[in-house]
Amino acid sequence: MKVLVAVKQVARLRDGLVLDGSAVVPDEALEWAPNEWDAFALEAALRLREDAGGGEVVVATVGGEEAEESLRAGLAMGTDRAVRVWDPSLRGADPLAIAAVLAKLAAAEQPEVILCGAQAADAANAATGLALAGLLDLAHVTVVNAVERDGSALVVGRELDGGAVETLRVSLPVLLTIQTGANRPRRANLRAIKQAREQPIETLTPAVLGLGEQELAAAAGARTVRLLEPVRERATMIDGPASAIAARIAEIVAAELQA
Amino acid sequence: MARDPRHDVLFEPVPIGPKTLRNRFYQSPHCTSFGADLPGSQAHIRAMKAEGGWAAVNTEFCSVHPSSDSRPLVSARLWDDDDARNLGRMAELAHEHGALAGVELWHGGCVAGNLESRLPARSVSQMTDESLYSTSCYELDKAGIREIQGYYVAAARRARDVGFDMINIEGAECGAITQHFLMSKFNRRTDEYGGALENRARFWLEVVEQVREAVGGDCAITARLCVDTLNDNPLGIRAAEEAYQFIELGDHLVDFWDLQAGGYVAAEWAGDDAVASRFAGEFSHREYIEAVRPATRKPIAAVGRFTNPDTMAAAIRSGVIDIIAAARPSIADPFLPQKIEQGRYDEIRECIGCNICASRFGQGAPIVCTQNATLGEEFRRGWHPERFTKASNAEKTVLVVGAGPAGMECAMVLGKRGLSAVHLVEAADALGGSLRAISAYPHLGEWGRVTTYRQIQLDKLDNVEVILKRRLDAEAVFTYGAEVVVVATGARWRADGMNGPTQAPIPGAEYDFVHTPEQVSAVNGAIDGEHVLVYDTDGYFTAVGMAEMLLAAGKRVTVVTSFPNFASFMFFTGEAFRVNRELRAQGIEIVTGHLLSEITPERLRGQSVWAPDPVQWSADAVVLVTQREPLDSLYHELRADPWRLQREGIEAVYRVGDCVAPRTIAENVFDGHRLAREIDTDDPATPLPFLRELPDVRRERSPVA
Amino acid sequence: MSGVLVLAELAGGAGSPLGLRPSSLELIDAGRALGEQGAGALTVALIGAAADAHADALQLPGVAEIVTVSTPDEHFEAHVSQAALEELIRERRPAVVLAGHTSDSLAFVAAVAARGRHGFAGDVTSVSWGEHGVLARRGAYGERLLAELDFPGKSTVLLQLRAGAPAAGAGSGDAGSAGATPGGVGVASAASAAATVSRLEIDLEGTARTERLELREPPAGGADVAEADFLLSIGRGVGSADGVPRLQRLAERMGAALSVSGPLVEAGWAPRGLKVGQSGRTVAPRVYLALGISGAAQHLAGMSGSRTIIAVNCDAGARIFDVADHGAVADLFEVADELERLFA
Repeated sequence: MKVLVAVKQVARLRDGLVLDGSAVVPDEALEWAPNEWDAFALEAALRLREDAGGGEVVVATVGGEEAEESLRAGLAMGTDRAVRVWDPSLRGADPLAIAAVLAKLAAAEQPEVILCGAQAADAANAATGLALAGLLDLAHVTVVNAVERDGSALVVGRELDGGAVETLRVSLPVLLTIQTGANRPRRANLRAIKQAREQPIETLTPAVLGLGEQELAAAAGARTVRLLEPVRERATMIDGPASAIAARIAEIVAAELQA
Repeated sequence: MARDPRHDVLFEPVPIGPKTLRNRFYQSPHCTSFGADLPGSQAHIRAMKAEGGWAAVNTEFCSVHPSSDSRPLVSARLWDDDDARNLGRMAELAHEHGALAGVELWHGGCVAGNLESRLPARSVSQMTDESLYSTSCYELDKAGIREIQGYYVAAARRARDVGFDMINIEGAECGAITQHFLMSKFNRRTDEYGGALENRARFWLEVVEQVREAVGGDCAITARLCVDTLNDNPLGIRAAEEAYQFIELGDHLVDFWDLQAGGYVAAEWAGDDAVASRFAGEFSHREYIEAVRPATRKPIAAVGRFTNPDTMAAAIRSGVIDIIAAARPSIADPFLPQKIEQGRYDEIRECIGCNICASRFGQGAPIVCTQNATLGEEFRRGWHPERFTKASNAEKTVLVVGAGPAGMECAMVLGKRGLSAVHLVEAADALGGSLRAISAYPHLGEWGRVTTYRQIQLDKLDNVEVILKRRLDAEAVFTYGAEVVVVATGARWRADGMNGPTQAPIPGAEYDFVHTPEQVSAVNGAIDGEHVLVYDTDGYFTAVGMAEMLLAAGKRVTVVTSFPNFASFMFFTGEAFRVNRELRAQGIEIVTGHLLSEITPERLRGQSVWAPDPVQWSADAVVLVTQREPLDSLYHELRADPWRLQREGIEAVYRVGDCVAPRTIAENVFDGHRLAREIDTDDPATPLPFLRELPDVRRERSPVA
Repeated sequence: MSGVLVLAELAGGAGSPLGLRPSSLELIDAGRALGEQGAGALTVALIGAAADAHADALQLPGVAEIVTVSTPDEHFEAHVSQAALEELIRERRPAVVLAGHTSDSLAFVAAVAARGRHGFAGDVTSVSWGEHGVLARRGAYGERLLAELDFPGKSTVLLQLRAGAPAAGAGSGDAGSAGATPGGVGVASAASAAATVSRLEIDLEGTARTERLELREPPAGGADVAEADFLLSIGRGVGSADGVPRLQRLAERMGAALSVSGPLVEAGWAPRGLKVGQSGRTVAPRVYLALGISGAAQHLAGMSGSRTIIAVNCDAGARIFDVADHGAVADLFEVADELERLFA
């Protein structure tokens, strides 16, 4: 059983950032950490390997040096190999560009299962995994909260709006995006963490994978024109007696939950 | 986070006479047991608050003459120039940080035991004090009154000469001669110092006037007034009556007022100063301050265990007070004002209102704080609550087993000292250890702040991982991969009834109707049986918590304690009177001075400490609150195999907290802190020596009158 | 390429349709506004087994065309919808495709975008049509900033709009509002002829790649605080321990999970497991209804990721109103009683 897990090192803004109207945040203003969803994807991958009685789990990311932390976290949990693909032109790349890079890597690795987090904490497009499946023409299921092997197929739970869960069977090869809470990720002890520090990380460029500059540029789905401070408005106040307030609250709640 | 503009008001300066408070934070006078005899410790504990942003720091109550000697309780003193020189160090350091220094002048009148000076006590009238044994005082004549007033003035001059900025003439907590003159309960004089309120106020106001005349040009003058003795007794002080009138009479003599309510001795009185969190939250005496507010045009400083900047700002904006006075909040977090100023709200270490600080004073021992392990160690160990040096062995990785108070504190400080990786591993699904159950005892919810604070700080430390729901056995620890292992596995209550008085277990403790406090907590008091007997040889909050929990679960409760009083230790925390009163009012039967000697399904056999014949009780269930035992098997297992430790690269195994020897939460937090502070010494298991402040035997002595 | 294609969704799932989802009505509003700004005609597509039967529901002001795509199975299948959308785009060649940011859209839209080399953005909060095509805004860096996106060289752009996003035009040219403005059905700005209705000819048999085994509805109430979509959170304003069971009842009636702020745990009125805040659970439900919560920084840190925050507090100056989307200065129990009446 070969599983490829695509992870992301997500960015958080430090306090005190002053925007200059550009589309990029300077590196000094960013703090990095592994994406909260990825531990669940990694755990699911490791369990698939265990359940199959063997195989290979490869953790991969498209990111700069700061992304090695995510890969090392994967290695510490027990993945067999780690790969980082990067080119400076990918800074701020959108999900489709990332997916194009991952598609080349996946084509080289030929996994039976590809797992990603359902979304990333910083950008939250919830699209990269799905886009990757599209490019590879793979069967896919998104927002999965349970994974079990069933011969050469997987039986998965898909979370729907409102909390309903759909159980689906899907044949391999398949791409799944994993939701938080899908399992209880194993916590690496210090020995594993230290060993992970010693393991090599394969570093590649899109070019090495056969993705040329122009093709990469064409693959991008969006361009950030500029970044703005959101205007935080104070609450829209509801006036009137308690009955009017309650009625309006009920309206808002219904609209939000049923939307 | 940025500071909330709602809190800006807390940083406005307040003019007080010839001085100005740079913000509204005033460390109100509180005991430390350092006095003038441990000048380094005194100066540094106050200086730390000054550095932390308090606009003013104060001494504790400061005796003006040997005729007011509080031994064995430690007061500050200004008996002579040596005392002044010692205390002056505090003013020096406070000034370095831009704070004003104040001294709270005190003469205890008849509550002074004078065990050191051996002078007879003297006061407003001839009387005894409820807390002293076999002593009384004599009634002062006019000359005696002048003399005492002279002591205040001399002390004020000494204070001014060594740099103090504020002089506080104290009359609070029922422990000062000034207040004794003011209260009809004590003042039975028939001259111009007794009778009508104006007369009763005369002594105190004359002192303030004389002090003002002597040093008022250089120092801000204030009086610490108890505005209400909290029992609605015309012989006491009532805010709307005596306090109101007193303030009116003295308003022109002070630059600001320092107000509190309640007293520390409560045989007759209903309420306390320094109210513990089990009884009340912030600013619980607000109504009494409100009642006197219209009487004065001067700024008012008042205490209320203020920890929340919103409460503080609201109090200021409402106009009821002008200055946030705080003792315990400044103890728990000397940097409270600075943290609010910088918007670092989630770094505030909130006072939990356990009153362990006060309990040390009551035992004649140096002050400590459950939340703040560095409290009291500023000088003798050089510890700073906000500064941590990078460990010289920071490249090491550490495994801390157990996330109770000691484990959390140790992991947090190790994290702050830059250890490359710290894993805090806890078997339960949340942090807190034994504190989880304790903070769920009735009324002890605020004790959970010990965990809350550490949880937030641990979360912020990138080099610390908190791993829950993971129970580590020796094998897992051996193979964990840490070079340093700290075992913090806690303690548990003994189920066999082993206790201090008999040093033996209690026969029959094995019956299934006999429970430990953990078992009672686990079901929130809903154990089997209608009538429960709680046996207490511990003397502190656990038996109280058991009794309250069982009551709330609908049980009939009898408490049997070996001590002469129930919740004996709470006399030191100021909770005993009220706890005993309230539990009795709720129908708990309390049997003191008895041992539980045997348990059978038919009867419980006991023994009075006063009489030889055994007694009998009956109950459906028994809860044993006798003693705890350390859970140290993991520690011993690890230490038993040094070759394995070596093979696995574990360089050291330490233990901290209850698993060493069960103690108070404050000592456990301290234990975890100390190890982490000293993790890079040659022998971290052994505490480094700390500075002592011994008088020099060769120095020339000056006699004191 | 011109025109706007809206992917509408039926409420109640394709298996038991009850009408359109409110978010689809918002998409239609947005599509119409884009059209008015120059994007072209508005077409609304409905993919599903019952699509034909619901075409009439799409006869709304501004809609020029309705296209139905009939699917072989009653329930939603991602690959079937993916194939359907690809064909729709191939045939209609719209400049903009608008879909909701819903669990169904999240199952296929991005795949279509990647395969077709189209423009794409998810969780978009506002759209507008400019000189060079569509512009979109969405959060960045965990919603700390707002990003303005364009799609150079993309003749078709697929956008997933967040529910409650303002209609087109609100975001153009200024920092705009990051808050939600309820869409709702727009009042017809001009009388329009009925939309033409057509069926997309496409054989979707065999395009499914998953087999549905079971559908489980969510458990009623009792949801874990961190998982719940709707939290009713109470603070010190409830005044006493008695307030807690009373509001627990209300939470159950409203279908919300109950959570509390720190002071209630300290006061012993609620167990620690319900605490939301820096030292409790961090939550990000769709709806956070805060009653009697003042908004201490440590509490806000635990719930500021909530989609929609509604706050009721008797103190008009309470900090919670700085972060809430909707607020009311009122006695929380009076409002609670009225809510209980509505949700009886």
